[in-house]
Amino acid sequence: MKNRGQGVEESRSLVSGLNPGILESSNPAVQARGLTRVYRRGAETIHALKGIGLDVKCGEFVGVVGHSGAGKTTLLNLIGLMDRPTEGSLQVLGTDVARRGVRLDALRRKNIGFVFQEFYLMPALTATENVLLPTMWGKGNGENMRDKEIKGQRDRVGESGHLIPRSLDPSIPRERAKRLLDLVGLGHRMTHKPSELSGGEMQRVAVARALINRPRLLLADEPTGNLDTAIRDGIFNLLQALSRDSGLTVIVATHDLSLESRFTRVIRLEDGNVV
Amino acid sequence: MIWFKLSFKNLIRRKTRSTLTVLGVAIAIAVLYSLFQFQQGYQARLKGELGALGAHVIVVPKGCPYEAATIALHGGKWPRYMDESLLAKVKANPGVAEAAGVIMDAVFAPGDKNVILLGIDEDYMKLRPAWRISGHWFAADSDVIMGSTAAQDAGVKTGDYWVVPEKNVRLHVAGVLSRTNTQDDGFVFLPRKTLQKISGLEGKLVLILIKARHVDQTDALVASLKASEVDMNVFPLSELLGTISSLMASTKVFVSAIILIAVILGGVGVLNTVLMAVFERTREIGMMKAMGGSRGDVFKLVWAETILTTVLGGLAGVAIALVSSRLVEAIIRGMIPYAPRGSLIGFSLPTLLMCVGLSLVLGLVAGFYPAFRAASVKPVEAIKAE
Repeated sequence: MKNRGQGVEESRSLVSGLNPGILESSNPAVQARGLTRVYRRGAETIHALKGIGLDVKCGEFVGVVGHSGAGKTTLLNLIGLMDRPTEGSLQVLGTDVARRGVRLDALRRKNIGFVFQEFYLMPALTATENVLLPTMWGKGNGENMRDKEIKGQRDRVGESGHLIPRSLDPSIPRERAKRLLDLVGLGHRMTHKPSELSGGEMQRVAVARALINRPRLLLADEPTGNLDTAIRDGIFNLLQALSRDSGLTVIVATHDLSLESRFTRVIRLEDGNVV
Repeated sequence: MIWFKLSFKNLIRRKTRSTLTVLGVAIAIAVLYSLFQFQQGYQARLKGELGALGAHVIVVPKGCPYEAATIALHGGKWPRYMDESLLAKVKANPGVAEAAGVIMDAVFAPGDKNVILLGIDEDYMKLRPAWRISGHWFAADSDVIMGSTAAQDAGVKTGDYWVVPEKNVRLHVAGVLSRTNTQDDGFVFLPRKTLQKISGLEGKLVLILIKARHVDQTDALVASLKASEVDMNVFPLSELLGTISSLMASTKVFVSAIILIAVILGGVGVLNTVLMAVFERTREIGMMKAMGGSRGDVFKLVWAETILTTVLGGLAGVAIALVSSRLVEAIIRGMIPYAPRGSLIGFSLPTLLMCVGLSLVLGLVAGFYPAFRAASVKPVEAIKAE
């Protein structure tokens, strides 16, 4: 049986992987100044975010709370590099994303994991295969080369000088997927398809999928919106543990005000403003 | 592997639609395979049949050259004859090495089976060096030599007696030909005088087969034969091949149009299906992008699904073509004036590869626009779309 110390070590190596310097980084993970996002829908202009400022430090477990329409999803989309701000500056993991010419998709692929209210698992694939999906992306662009290089490798020597058997090597995607599923408590469900999983289990698979590329930032948009209270708490405990044990920066958007106490810090949004 | 699996799984998520799309392509490819193979088989068999004639030049009575060609190759009844005296004139031509005069008749055996009778003499045998007779050559006017299939159909063997249907003439089976795999297998060979007599065609011929003394001077031989006698049609075999081929060429345009339409329809069907699937999966595609999928990744995935659909359709099409080859062949045979005997649509690896290659190209073309649309999906808008 693992003790807590071993569990923390495993979580760190699995989630943050071989990215050194993440845990001890003192740079803010997210820094926004005068962040504005305006949408135009026909003649209507929607001010989703009205020049907000915020800082999120590396390793924080931050909640973005507010009622529906407050701007939570817009903020997460901007932080998650799926959208660009209309005005203001936004630094994500040290990159000014408002700057023209920045390749958001590559940055997102390497550094950001997403968990959504809907799980969006591929119904025909097993839990392990679903977790592996993001490792498919970007290979044609020369990314994830580390995985290609170690393909076919049997064992390797770890940084500590010890031999790491292939079956335990978290740098091999399939092994990492299995261990991530183990980490989220689904070690016994690896070959199950989404239709054979409960809502909570599907969301856990989605969390494992978000972590497969060893992101530096995990964003979750209403991750428990479709789950009942007991399962909701389980998912929150998992996200909390990931942040605490691996040093991963986790930002969760939720309209459920009862969850505020679970975060290390809360950013409250109301009508596009931080209050 | 997971790419292929994902593409395949995405296809079978919508079983009915995917099956119908694959079927659409399969029908187009089946038509392509069948018609292409038919044309290939036609040319090859026709050349085989002409080769089996054992002649470089044929002489037939004046009349429709296509009918004459059919009679020459498959035998039959033709109400035009040449005078037997022409044979001597032909033989006298210095360019002629061998010449065999043939008279033909066709009768119906019980069960409405058409029996082709060929009246020949020793000269004919000189054009058939490969013949192996189980029995002997004509020793009497009442002897008959049966092709292997004809003997089988009549239920006779060497030494038996056979009554010529409709004529009620009893003949002795002097020999049966070993299988030649040519039209000769289906013929019944009689001494020419005997057939002329029982058919009431004394002194008549329907065909003279000529072997040229110098093959490279066949054209000169034909010219000199044409000049010496006006009451006959003289064809070099190459011209006969060209004549029949040109007849086929007229159907080739029609056939090509059918293939083109079938392939275009198949392609449009695929494009429509994949495009619909892309619209339905907008949110899913948005999620892929949110998870790190680039435009190229999404493009590749949708393109791979389309190509998988069309290649599966291509393989299924070839299978359908092979299974339904008899039916298709019967239909096409009914549409053209002359077709060689034997099966014309068979398995051909080059044609299979051509069909699979074409279905691959079809997938590349039909999948491009849907893949482009999918790749252009913006994740934020896709996730908002419900």
